[in-house]
Amino acid sequence: MTTATAEPQQVDLHEAKGWRRTKNRIMTTLMVIAFVVVLVPLGFVLVTVIAKGASVISWSFLTGGPIPPIVVPAGVGGMGPAVLGTIEITALATVMAVPLGILGAIYLNEYGGRNWLAALIGFMSDVMTGVPSIIMGLFIFTIWVLHFGLSGLAGAFALACLMLPIVIRSSYEMLRLVPNSLREGSYALGATKARVTVTVVLPAAIGGIVSGALLAVARAAGETAPLLFCIGAAASANPNVFSGANTALPSQIFANANQPYTGAQDRGWGAALTLIAICFILMIVARLVTSRFARYSR
Amino acid sequence: MQLRFRQRRQRITAAGVAVVAMALTLAACSSSSTTTASSSTSSPAAGSTSSSAAKLSGTLNGSGSTFQTVYQQTAISSFKSVQPNMTVNYGSGGSGKGRTDLSSGVVNFAGSDSPIPSSEMANFKGKTVLYFPVFLGPITVSYNLSGVTGLKLDSTVLAEIFSGKITTWNNSAIAALNSGVKLPSTAITTAVRSDSSGTTQNFSLYLETAAKSDWTLGSSSTIKWPSTARAGNGNPGVAQIIKTTPGAIGYVDYADAKASGLSFASVKNSSGSYVAPSPQAASAAGNGITVDSNLTFHAVDSPEPTAYPITYQSWVLVYEKQPNANDAAMLKAYIGYLVGDGQSLLGNLGYAPLPSSLQQKTQAQLSKITG
Amino acid sequence: MSTITQVDPAVPAGSTHPLERRRPLGDRTFAIIALASGLLVLVILVLIAVTTTQQSASWFSAEGLKIFTNNWDPSANQFGALAFIYGTAITGVIALIMAVPVSVGIALLLTEVVPYRWSRPIVYVVDLLAVVPSVVWGLWGILVFAPWLNHIYAHIGSAVTGIPVLGSLFGPPTSGASFFTAGIILAFMITPIVTSLSREVIATVPAIDREGAYALGATRWEMIRGAVLPHSQGGIVGAVLLGLGRAMGETIAVALVIGSSPVITSHLFAPGYNMPAVIANQFGEATGVFRAGLMGIGVLLFVFTIIINVIARGIVERNARRKRGA
Repeated sequence: MTTATAEPQQVDLHEAKGWRRTKNRIMTTLMVIAFVVVLVPLGFVLVTVIAKGASVISWSFLTGGPIPPIVVPAGVGGMGPAVLGTIEITALATVMAVPLGILGAIYLNEYGGRNWLAALIGFMSDVMTGVPSIIMGLFIFTIWVLHFGLSGLAGAFALACLMLPIVIRSSYEMLRLVPNSLREGSYALGATKARVTVTVVLPAAIGGIVSGALLAVARAAGETAPLLFCIGAAASANPNVFSGANTALPSQIFANANQPYTGAQDRGWGAALTLIAICFILMIVARLVTSRFARYSR
Repeated sequence: MQLRFRQRRQRITAAGVAVVAMALTLAACSSSSTTTASSSTSSPAAGSTSSSAAKLSGTLNGSGSTFQTVYQQTAISSFKSVQPNMTVNYGSGGSGKGRTDLSSGVVNFAGSDSPIPSSEMANFKGKTVLYFPVFLGPITVSYNLSGVTGLKLDSTVLAEIFSGKITTWNNSAIAALNSGVKLPSTAITTAVRSDSSGTTQNFSLYLETAAKSDWTLGSSSTIKWPSTARAGNGNPGVAQIIKTTPGAIGYVDYADAKASGLSFASVKNSSGSYVAPSPQAASAAGNGITVDSNLTFHAVDSPEPTAYPITYQSWVLVYEKQPNANDAAMLKAYIGYLVGDGQSLLGNLGYAPLPSSLQQKTQAQLSKITG
Repeated sequence: MSTITQVDPAVPAGSTHPLERRRPLGDRTFAIIALASGLLVLVILVLIAVTTTQQSASWFSAEGLKIFTNNWDPSANQFGALAFIYGTAITGVIALIMAVPVSVGIALLLTEVVPYRWSRPIVYVVDLLAVVPSVVWGLWGILVFAPWLNHIYAHIGSAVTGIPVLGSLFGPPTSGASFFTAGIILAFMITPIVTSLSREVIATVPAIDREGAYALGATRWEMIRGAVLPHSQGGIVGAVLLGLGRAMGETIAVALVIGSSPVITSHLFAPGYNMPAVIANQFGEATGVFRAGLMGIGVLLFVFTIIINVIARGIVERNARRKRGA
């Protein structure tokens, strides 16, 4: 009669040998190479922009104006109008999009719950993050510029349309992370829902929300397509963001990208360096805010 | 339970009403500030606005021909010392864009290298458009062929190159015009405009006029080039294609070609001499033109013996009837500068100023702008 | 004994129904404002859809199904947009082929290979790619990268002329500004998104699956293949599709480096055109049916990106729900 139990299995406690180990090593190396592959273009772009743009950057370049004709060599005039334009248009867009985005996220998370409207809004908001930015520009051109003319305000509208879904999505994620115990404790003390949201939930999530908003601002500052048809092309600074053609750093870079004149190209690189610096600073500040002030993060 | 549903419905309606109210107030606020699409918000000038020599203030927006870009930008910058409180913006984009922007009311003036074609006339809704010529300039035939300088071409050969019939540089037709020059067997790559362009329109007009039956692609701001042609955006785009592609040949305006360091071909004019592009040769072409009553004309294939045959021109287009007096005054001042004192800037930029008889007629037309 | 009357401060004196707590005005107002802000997204999206469709109606009615022919000739009033659709598809595919292995590789590197304290700098570096604005990619692309690539293309092109498949893909005509250059730059731009989404998906793999694989003696790669990838492949597919959606919609960088040539060709090194690029380049000068045509291309682009986004989010959601519920 054969024994019912089989012999105990031999457990091989050695590390994998031969081909298996080699394959593992190859795959790990490939993953590292993937990272290095990312470093190459990044380094290439940053080094080029810094090398070509640094020689043009000076205080008079950043604040001086007007933007000289394309034939004029670098050193005359400056990109001040474009810097001002970027700052004021992006600031206006932020003022419009961020509060509305946070409020929208508050609706989705606090008031909407599982109802169909909240699900639809959340879904549409995700869909809207995927809409190409040029469509936003065409939209604002059709309903605003054709009736009220070119202005920084039109550009700000287009950028706000772009930022709104991003802010909603990131604020929503941050609000969701706030533990329910905080809310329930506040309700137990008799606070109304609005009070709980504004005085308890929002401050708890504010770090993450601000960080998300800053990243949205960085994205908007770098966008060109929405501004293409909405702000026109001004050579001198236009402090009035609500009327009159304006200009912005991305528009100037786009206009100078194809010019054969060295002056225009130099100014284009200088503007590119300024723009990257602005976006970079915003990103760093966003990360600092997350690490120092975000109480709850993933 | 029923109460909660009603509450929810009430809330949604209230929210919808709030959104609509916000939109309406926004529209009402903005419509009360500007009633016209023209973006010249006129802050009343400190002095009188009746005489055009007084200090004007406000903004003018223009867009259009890339041929005019350099002149417009230079003129705008020096115009600042004439009228410090006026701001003028010029947005380039191509002659087609300029005409479109003018017809949709987005700009006050447009730069265009060709008169409004009949297909676009409907966009202007019957309003009279005035043409103010501002300068003349050569369209170079630039090429990239190492070791070859001083290429000579005529209209027939150009027509055949650009319609794709001649495909290599050592073709017998080219060699016949360039005896003694060693032409390589490189393939010819034609560089053309991808956007709607007055440069294209005038270049094709030259081919149509001078090469007659050899040119079958017509004359228009956008041409259906053979599929082997490489297209670029704006004059600088074409210049860049030529610069980076060995064996390329294309049409680029003089200023951009010179700035890109391209070699230009000498083209045979109607008197039989091979003329290289230059501002002087373009001025000579200006002497042979016949001008219509609305100041439109064609400078291509001029009968003058020293003229460069592919010379073209550019106009500033404005509506005769302006929406308000300040707009009219500003346009008179700026366009007056472009065709008057500003002409002295042209020499340095590589353009040819208007011939004096044409300049006088243009300055006289300024009084037609009313507001 | 005196009765202690419960006074509920939230119930106003005039309220008749005992169960109804009328919320204070401030509370209700806040709720309405929040709802209105949420609705704003819907309103804007609907407005965009309605406006663009309305503006492009004349193109759709003038061309009908001919919009899907390769015949874009504004001067002859022909507006068939197939070349642009082809360009969008090709550049998207090239971008994906290059970006997906790299992104998934980095995501796996971050979650499986490197120790935690090295992962933060690596994430920073990948996010730096996202910080570079699209117009700067375009500027660098057309002035530096494309001329450099042109030499490489010329060499490859002359090397493969005559070889059956390779010749038609990589043979001449070659140009720095081409489908392939646009695809490479798009790959650079979508890598951060696909990486971060893949990372999130891979992070949801339960530790127990990983530990189990290791316990059976698997090497790291075998563990990845056996436990991580099957679990997260749905999510990764979703992430990839989102990257594709982003690549299809990217306008400025592509407009600068794609070459502005509406052709349908298998030569990847030849200049081409795609949907957002033609809108950016030609909208300014377009009127009438031409403008309606460009708007219509925008509508098509809108529809394509929405479809891809919907499918992608559906896949990610379904994957996440399945794993969560399991």
